[in-house]
Amino acid sequence: MIEVDRLTKEFSDLRRGSVAALEAVSFNVQAGEIFGLLGPNGAGKTTCLRLLSTVLQPTSGRAHVAGYDVVRQPEQVRAHIGFMSNNTGIYDRMTAWELVEYYGRLYGMSEDLLQARLNEIFETLQMNEIRDVLGSKMSTGMKQKVSIARTIIHDPPVLIFDEPTSGLDVLVARAVLKAVEQLREQGKCIIFSTHIMREVEKLCDRVAIIHRGRILAIGTLAELASEYNQPDVEELFFDLIRLNDEPQETTRA
Amino acid sequence: MTRRNVLLIFLREVRDQLRDRRTLFMVAILPMLLYPALGIGIAQMTTTFSEQQRTVAIIGFDELPPPPLLDPTNRHRFVDSLFDTPADASKLFVITEADLAVDVSVITDETPSADENADSTTAGATAKSESPEPSKAEPAVSETLTRFLISARARRANIEELGRLTLQLDLVAPQTSAKESDAEPTVTSEASDVSDKQALSTLKARHKELQDEIQRWFRDAPVQVLIVVPQGYHAHLDQVNKLLKQRRPLDDFLSTGPRPIILQNSANDKSMVAYGRVRSAVRNWSQQALRNQLVAAELPASLPSAVDTTMLDMAVADEISASLWSKLFPTLLMMMAVTGAFYPAVDLGAGEKERGTMETLLISPATRTEIVIGKFLTVLLFSLSTAFLNIASMGLTAKYMLNSATAGRLANLGDVASFPPVSSLVWVAMIGIPLAAMFSALSLAFAMFARSTKEGQYYLTPLLMVTMGLTMFTLSPTVELNAYYSVLPIVGPGLLLKTLLLSQTMPNMAAYIVAVLGSSIVYSALALWWAIEQFAREDILFREAERFDLKLWVKHLFRDKEPTPTFSEAGLCLVTILMLVFVFMGVGAGQTFSANAMQDALIKQGIFLMVAVGVPPLLMAILLTRNPLETLKLRWPEWRYLVVAVGLAFVLQPISLELAYRLSDFFPPVPEVVTKFMSALKEVDVPWWMTIAALALAPALFEELAFRGFILSGLQRARNPWVAIVLSSLAFGAIHMIPSQAFNAMLMGIAIGLLAVTSRSLIPGILLHFLYNASQILVGRFSTELETTAASTDDFLFSVVVDPEGKVVGYDPHFPLLFPCVLAGAILLAFLVRRLRRQEEERLRLQYGDPTPPMTPVS
Repeated sequence: MIEVDRLTKEFSDLRRGSVAALEAVSFNVQAGEIFGLLGPNGAGKTTCLRLLSTVLQPTSGRAHVAGYDVVRQPEQVRAHIGFMSNNTGIYDRMTAWELVEYYGRLYGMSEDLLQARLNEIFETLQMNEIRDVLGSKMSTGMKQKVSIARTIIHDPPVLIFDEPTSGLDVLVARAVLKAVEQLREQGKCIIFSTHIMREVEKLCDRVAIIHRGRILAIGTLAELASEYNQPDVEELFFDLIRLNDEPQETTRA
Repeated sequence: MTRRNVLLIFLREVRDQLRDRRTLFMVAILPMLLYPALGIGIAQMTTTFSEQQRTVAIIGFDELPPPPLLDPTNRHRFVDSLFDTPADASKLFVITEADLAVDVSVITDETPSADENADSTTAGATAKSESPEPSKAEPAVSETLTRFLISARARRANIEELGRLTLQLDLVAPQTSAKESDAEPTVTSEASDVSDKQALSTLKARHKELQDEIQRWFRDAPVQVLIVVPQGYHAHLDQVNKLLKQRRPLDDFLSTGPRPIILQNSANDKSMVAYGRVRSAVRNWSQQALRNQLVAAELPASLPSAVDTTMLDMAVADEISASLWSKLFPTLLMMMAVTGAFYPAVDLGAGEKERGTMETLLISPATRTEIVIGKFLTVLLFSLSTAFLNIASMGLTAKYMLNSATAGRLANLGDVASFPPVSSLVWVAMIGIPLAAMFSALSLAFAMFARSTKEGQYYLTPLLMVTMGLTMFTLSPTVELNAYYSVLPIVGPGLLLKTLLLSQTMPNMAAYIVAVLGSSIVYSALALWWAIEQFAREDILFREAERFDLKLWVKHLFRDKEPTPTFSEAGLCLVTILMLVFVFMGVGAGQTFSANAMQDALIKQGIFLMVAVGVPPLLMAILLTRNPLETLKLRWPEWRYLVVAVGLAFVLQPISLELAYRLSDFFPPVPEVVTKFMSALKEVDVPWWMTIAALALAPALFEELAFRGFILSGLQRARNPWVAIVLSSLAFGAIHMIPSQAFNAMLMGIAIGLLAVTSRSLIPGILLHFLYNASQILVGRFSTELETTAASTDDFLFSVVVDPEGKVVGYDPHFPLLFPCVLAGAILLAFLVRRLRRQEEERLRLQYGDPTPPMTPVS
């Protein structure tokens, strides 16, 4: 469902000149699978996901999402994904219902299907009591629920979650993770970025460890553990980052 | 782009804005409350505000002949009928020496002693006090004024002398200069006593001394105007009357005789206003006095009006109001369209970025163009409603207020209240829409560029300043709609609106309307395109607050040079060229058309092109890009592009000529200087190579370097090469200034731009440009050959164009010539367009690989 082939993104920076935020990243994600993107802040996770959601254009490399090219068919790509991050905002002056309905219409859903879907989602996410609450009046948990509803309203085959739990309290975070799990059961192709090891252990079928714009290791947790001979994910993560940083530091010195 | 998405976004944004109390307040509530409130305020002010009385002192009042200057029932007041507006009489308080007589006994001890005039004036004052009976009810004159009257009386002689001296010196000055220049001294009459310079200088010294003294004294005076009637004025007038009756010449007598003096201080506003009123009263009074004199001398009283003209104001009440509306409406429309657009735009652009909802919208299937257009329509709606609500509210308030004002100073404005006709309002709406569209798109582009709403607000001021400046310019009565102004943003619509509201008719009005509306639409489209570009740019969409550091930036500019210029560097190049062209505007064709002057002008033209147009792109390419050769497209092209260039040059010539003839009515005539220059070029003996060099080679080289070289290379950063070609040709048109030439240049620019992009070389463009210009010059050179060809072919291919003097100035292509040209041109251009499309595909493939299906097929 998601195929990424040597995807590269460079930014120009006033201080440092051209900087590669993502360097020749390649991976595949299948349907019914949660693929974790694990990395520290600034590793290039968000850049990678923004490239997949066509918000950014790659400098080079290719990516196909749900069978569509992110450069040549960006509209189709966007129509077939649901994207959620903790900073995808909720409109202040729109109620929960209106917001989800608005996005459903932008996805081109027929009115009958949309209303049925709305009712269904508001039921399953237990959002009926915040139906007519304006965004500005919502708590963070409510907002996150609305975001999830917005992400899945058009029943997309591919879902992209960019650190969806960062900044949430444990209860809300748990609810979000539950929702993601349920989506896998529905056979969705899910890509999930985080810097929290626990979430990876709990949720992800496969994981890519990303640092400084490059993928350091990729595989199931069991594969990674055997390959690097380190059963603890956290230790594995730090080892990899240290290994990666050391040669650079020596060359610089 | 689908209408559905645009509509969805539009409706959401409108609902969102309507739920925002601030926007509603700005757009609807404020205008509906503001003007009525202002109106009530003004009404309040006018009823409670009354102008303070100013004081006028008259010394030597009883020397004045009839008719009465002061109201017989109230000697502190001028006669009402003397004023143009009778109510003005109440704004002046008059004191005379008669006021001294009332309680002169109280203050006599303060009277300066040793006053040689005291006896006579007191005599006059007592005489005066007898005629209008001073009643006890009259306001007593304050002590300050009394004291002033006394001091004024004491200075009467000095003031009279100053008046005389001023008069004399004014008369003397030209005569002395005449004496100095002419060998023969002219006989002087009245100023004969100051024939020698020494006497003159003593007079001057005396004048200065008197003036200084009186200036100092009058500066602190409690009165604003002082009238001094010289002593013996009455007797003098009697003498004049006598002479007049005897029909004896009295010119000399009049010019040397005493005359009343009015003192005022023009640096003092109060004094100025009071003087203005006094002057009009005195003028009217002196006219009446003159009539009395004439009657006394048994002459017709209408004598002074013998050559008087009668001014009849032909302005109809409607037109007076039209002139009011023609100033109010355009101003209000512009200002409110800007402010009405800006606040929603900032909220929709920067605000949405700030609140983090932009990214959510970006990952919906709606394209960026759809999003921007949806937002743009919202801003446009609010801009228009703000502008129209303001105009309506202000118009209605003004109408109501003026109609209800039956008394007071607004009463005579009552006629003004006629509302503009419906047709005018339709025009306001018609022109308002593209205008608001331009402002909306501009505001949106600014708002998209801004990182935060706060930053967005900063951009309002420059936008407002520019708009205001241009609006003020259009309001100037001397500025009239012309072809050049009509295509300028803001100025064109402003002037057109002014003209239409005044119901003035101009020749070519329809052309102007088309030009203004057309250019406004083009400007709005450009602004909208810019907004979309802004929105599509990643660095702007995900801009993070960063410290701006000039040193870093300059370093970045030179360190991170790119092979070809950036979009903004291309813009910078264009602005530089435009500014240099502006600076050198005066250079070039002069008013004389001799052979030497023409040669000079041609050399200057060549140098001007090199400095203003050729140097900037060259320097910028070397300094700002890593690959100047690539930037300026300096490489040898494939030979077939050279063939295309030569073909296009000759094929486009007759076509553009035909177009020029067809559109000659639309565009204003080419300035006379240019036509004169061009026709002089054919007559005056200027070496042919010079003409070719200055008018064909120099433009071909330098303009190509700039417009197809640096600017086009920068613009090619836009994802669509057509955008780059069209924009560069617009820029190319812009520097041609003269509308018809600019239009022609723009069309040529598209053809040459296409050639430059596809061949990746500047050389075919230079070749085309050179051949095109040169052939145009040669047409003039070979007029006789043209004539014989036309005659021998019976005007089959073309006929010659003859100027009023019978000289051949050009040719008019006919269908048999035009048709193959159009056909060939179409084929050549189609070839280029196809090449362009192929190259684009190639470019995409190189950057992103083959558009192959994904590595694993999707079920």
